[in-house]
Amino acid sequence: MKKKLLVVFGWLMVMCTYAQAQELEGTVTYERSTSYTKMVAKLPYLSQEEKDRAKMMWGNEEGDKQKMKLTFTPDQSLYTYIGEQGETDDGRWSWRQSDYVIQRNFEKQTLTELQEFAGKTYIIQDSLKAPKWKVLNQLKDIAGHICMKAETEDLVKNQKIIAWFADDIPVSVGPERMYGLPGIILELDYNDGVSVITATKVEMKKVDPKELALPKMKGKKINMADHDRIIKEHIKDSIGARRNPYWGVNLWN
Amino acid sequence: MRHLLLSACFILCACMVEAQTRLSIKGRAVDTTSTALPFTTVMLLTPKDSALVSYARADENGRFELKNAKRGTYLLKMSYTGYLPFQTEVTPAEGAVTDLGDLKMKPISKELFEVVVKTAKAPLNIRGDTIEYNASSFKVPPGSTVEDLLRRLPGFQVEQDGSIRAQGQEVKRVTVDGKNFFGGDPKTATKNLNAEAIDKVQVYTSKTEQAKATGIDDGKKEKTVNLALKEEFKKGGFGKIKAGVGTDQRVDVRGNYNKFNDKQQFAVVASGNNINQSGMSWDDRQDFYGSSLFRWDETDFGFGGGITSGGNSGDGIIMQGGNIIIMNGGGGNDRGFNNTYSGGVNYNFETKKRKFTSNYYFNQRRNWTNQIINRQSILSDNAFETDSRSNEHTQNDNHKVQVRYEDNLDSLNTLIVLANGTINNSSYSQDLSQQNRRSATQLTNRTTQDNGNSALTLNLSGSALYRRKFKTKGKSFAASVSYLLNNGNSDAEQRSLNEFFDPTTGTPLFSRQLNLLNANRNRQNQIRSSLSYVQPISKRVFWESFYNFGVRSDKVDRDVFNQLEGNLRNDSLSRYYTNQIMHNRAGSGLRYNYKGTNISAGFAAINMNIAGKFSADQSSPNVMEVNRNYTIVVPGVSFNMDMKNNRYLYAEYAGNVEQPSIRDLQPIIDYSNPLYISQGNPNLKPTVNHEAYAGYQYFNPSSFTRFFGNINYNYAVNQVVYNQTIDSLLVTRTRPANVSGGQRFGTYLNVGFPLKKNKANISFNTNINFNRNYTLINDIENRTNNNSYNWGTNLELTPSEKFTFYGNANWSYSNVRYSINTTQNQKIWNQSYSGQMNVKLPWEAYFNATFDYRLYKNDRFGLNQNIPILNLAVYKLLGKAKKSEVRLSAYDLFRRNLGITQGASGNYFTQTRVETITRYFMLSYTYNMRGVKANMRRNNGF
Repeated sequence: MKKKLLVVFGWLMVMCTYAQAQELEGTVTYERSTSYTKMVAKLPYLSQEEKDRAKMMWGNEEGDKQKMKLTFTPDQSLYTYIGEQGETDDGRWSWRQSDYVIQRNFEKQTLTELQEFAGKTYIIQDSLKAPKWKVLNQLKDIAGHICMKAETEDLVKNQKIIAWFADDIPVSVGPERMYGLPGIILELDYNDGVSVITATKVEMKKVDPKELALPKMKGKKINMADHDRIIKEHIKDSIGARRNPYWGVNLWN
Repeated sequence: MRHLLLSACFILCACMVEAQTRLSIKGRAVDTTSTALPFTTVMLLTPKDSALVSYARADENGRFELKNAKRGTYLLKMSYTGYLPFQTEVTPAEGAVTDLGDLKMKPISKELFEVVVKTAKAPLNIRGDTIEYNASSFKVPPGSTVEDLLRRLPGFQVEQDGSIRAQGQEVKRVTVDGKNFFGGDPKTATKNLNAEAIDKVQVYTSKTEQAKATGIDDGKKEKTVNLALKEEFKKGGFGKIKAGVGTDQRVDVRGNYNKFNDKQQFAVVASGNNINQSGMSWDDRQDFYGSSLFRWDETDFGFGGGITSGGNSGDGIIMQGGNIIIMNGGGGNDRGFNNTYSGGVNYNFETKKRKFTSNYYFNQRRNWTNQIINRQSILSDNAFETDSRSNEHTQNDNHKVQVRYEDNLDSLNTLIVLANGTINNSSYSQDLSQQNRRSATQLTNRTTQDNGNSALTLNLSGSALYRRKFKTKGKSFAASVSYLLNNGNSDAEQRSLNEFFDPTTGTPLFSRQLNLLNANRNRQNQIRSSLSYVQPISKRVFWESFYNFGVRSDKVDRDVFNQLEGNLRNDSLSRYYTNQIMHNRAGSGLRYNYKGTNISAGFAAINMNIAGKFSADQSSPNVMEVNRNYTIVVPGVSFNMDMKNNRYLYAEYAGNVEQPSIRDLQPIIDYSNPLYISQGNPNLKPTVNHEAYAGYQYFNPSSFTRFFGNINYNYAVNQVVYNQTIDSLLVTRTRPANVSGGQRFGTYLNVGFPLKKNKANISFNTNINFNRNYTLINDIENRTNNNSYNWGTNLELTPSEKFTFYGNANWSYSNVRYSINTTQNQKIWNQSYSGQMNVKLPWEAYFNATFDYRLYKNDRFGLNQNIPILNLAVYKLLGKAKKSEVRLSAYDLFRRNLGITQGASGNYFTQTRVETITRYFMLSYTYNMRGVKANMRRNNGF
């Protein structure tokens, strides 16, 4: 009898954790769009007239759009492209996507990133350091979830980042490099709309460990401090050469 | 053992100290009826800047505990779906645990929540007691007032008399960007302001005016609405004006003004000058056409070439004997002396669904050209020289109207309608004297001409383009139909005295006077239609097909009268002809793409039918007929590859079919210029140009190293060339014929890298071309080989913000060989060196110098010419906002602008000198609403 009770209790425990685990893992599909006009408006070497001209010419154009995917469990997350190629809406013209995989391991407190920038592919490995968030008083509905607004700052690229997180999915993950809020991040906004990453679909489902596995990676191994130094130098050089630094870093933000 | 005990004590003490500085905050989230709110998110923020310190989740009973927080004051924030975020300041009590008890959260009113947050997907901003609405999330028809907008906002009521209630309370005050609007009467603001100008609507309660004025808080609060304006409505427009006067009565005045917002763009531009600047700069074009500048609509789908549209809008081409006179419409011709006036208006309206563009542009040009042309023509046994001097005056008025409308009927269907119209009115007069000589002294013939012409041309075109996408990705259909009408009337007067001399003795043989009046009536109609269909075969392979149909009919009525014979009609020069060109083109191919590799290949079949009727007059019984039918199949292949680290590889090959021109097909001899008699050839076949190129490019965004390289090859089958027969009196007779084998091979390489990053950049380029052309000269085949080699280098020095230098040097060497007469082979050396220097002087003043030095050398003609051109400018930016500029500039300081151009082709070498503007000084003033920027540095693209 005692034994039986123990078994039942154990099963209940497993069920509970299973039920909870099932709730807190899944995939989020994001649409990432970049506004050329807003990007140009941030370039310090252009005159107001040149910026206004760019706004008039391109202001109504839809930005570059990319479909991205975040796969997550409470312990791990992996963020990369959906699909193996960039292509036009009709699929008749394709282009190569620069290497871009962002992995976070919250259990081991480590990060691994495969990124192409400043003309080279790098593998970044380091320990995790969560962004410092400020939580603000704004609500918005994204993909059927009520999200709260939070804000942080990227001192390397010198930009303001706004995140919208859903506290009804209490898992501290997010797209790109952002995480560490009481809920999953469903929207990111860099520098007042230069790039916006918005969730279009949130699917809660059991995640196959394969989906979280890193691809085969080739590139120069560096840590975050090296990355920050290279990016800072790239921005300084590009601005100095009157060149848009954004072009040298695919998925700039 | 004692050690161990001691250590344990220490740890215990440490723990106790820690326990005193760290604390736990407990509480329970409940709603207004004290019902627990399970799993509420609880956050601990710093009160100073809302920085997130820690967070937790309540249990199923709404209970939460935030452990291990540092002792201090916090902001505790709770969030629960459907409830207003709860926020309270927490000052911890004595002891390790602070229990806040039940914390009541207020539900967001259902109306607000459903409408604002869920349906409109608008961020609902809650700042203390302020609720903010994002105006753009609430759709109102264009032209609506703020009142109309407020009616749509949840929680707002607008009464019959215009008074406003927000959340049940009357709104006493409306402010715009925080400022009172017309004394603060709410109705004035809401009834007069345009809803489109509003970015946000903010509702809050504030102290009464009285309380603010007296400083005594009477406790009364009133509802206030603030309207935050959109960024662009604050900005207005931008524009600039420039006026300059100079020596030699040089004048340059130009101005433009733009106004735009999200939906509308409006621009006006006007300019007038006599410094040979016609047309608009690239920036000016962008400012004028706005977002419509880059909307190109391809109405002929597919490849392979074929029917030509004829009658380029704005440019009238007039044939006079052997002279082709090109009337430039709006073009940037800066030969001779020009007075140019132009102006235009553009209006664009754009939404996601509809795009409308319309513009009108007027251009008036008065041109005076005095030119000397020396031409060396190579014959099999010898050569002859042609010297001509002419004095020309052209007046040209051009009006152009363009309209484009695009309607995205739904997500799958798009319709585009285009209409263009041009009216060109021109008149032309020319005094020409031309001599043909066997050698420097031996005069063979001479003509003195006095020609005049006036022409009015009208071009109209209209197109409709329909595109359909399907649910199946990649499947698409497109159809277009176009109508073009070119109508031209011209009246010309040609007077010439032609004298001939004995080629050996130089004694006059005979002379001929020709005075002709020409009346031309041309009309061209064209209908074209095009279809395209794409069917995806798999995810990566697409099958693409196209079909084009075109029919063009021309009617030309030319009446020539001989003034010397009492204006008698000259039947041999007069002409009436009609012709019709039918054109069918069909093609099909496959396209494949995978990870940046894009390949397409296909074939196009072109069928052309040319039917023409030629006679001296409408009523003439002698009608010559030409009827030709051709079918040609040409391939097309293209390859593109996007590789890792900004490297691209591309290659393309295509055959292009070009129909013979009607003028060349006419079986009639034209001797209106007695020294240059041309004859058509009804047996001409269409030309097929086989064109291939391949290239590679690389750019390193970190080191700024770049490389471009390409090779290109062109082979002509049935190229139309003008065979020449030159008699002993140096009268040239030409007749077009088909020749195959003309070819061109070229390579281009460019490599650039920084010498010192951001201080000095250098690049090198080389361009090598081999050309081979065939013609028949006096029935002997002549092959002209022109091999040219070019090298260049560019240097950019940008050592500081106060000094920049951009320089480049080019060297070119051409070796021209004539198979029929190797003694005439030529070696041409051209060099050019140019530099631009910018210096920042004190007091916001700048100095700019450009220097252009060209050297021409041709041993065959003993030519050795050096032309240095130096321009200088000093300018100063004025005012705090640097909105205006005063500039003093000097153009061609050495007075060496000789307007020389030269070139070798076919069997001749030509050098042209046009008298043009030389040294002048100009003082100009510029006012730019957006501020003048000193041009110290060149942008590397953005």
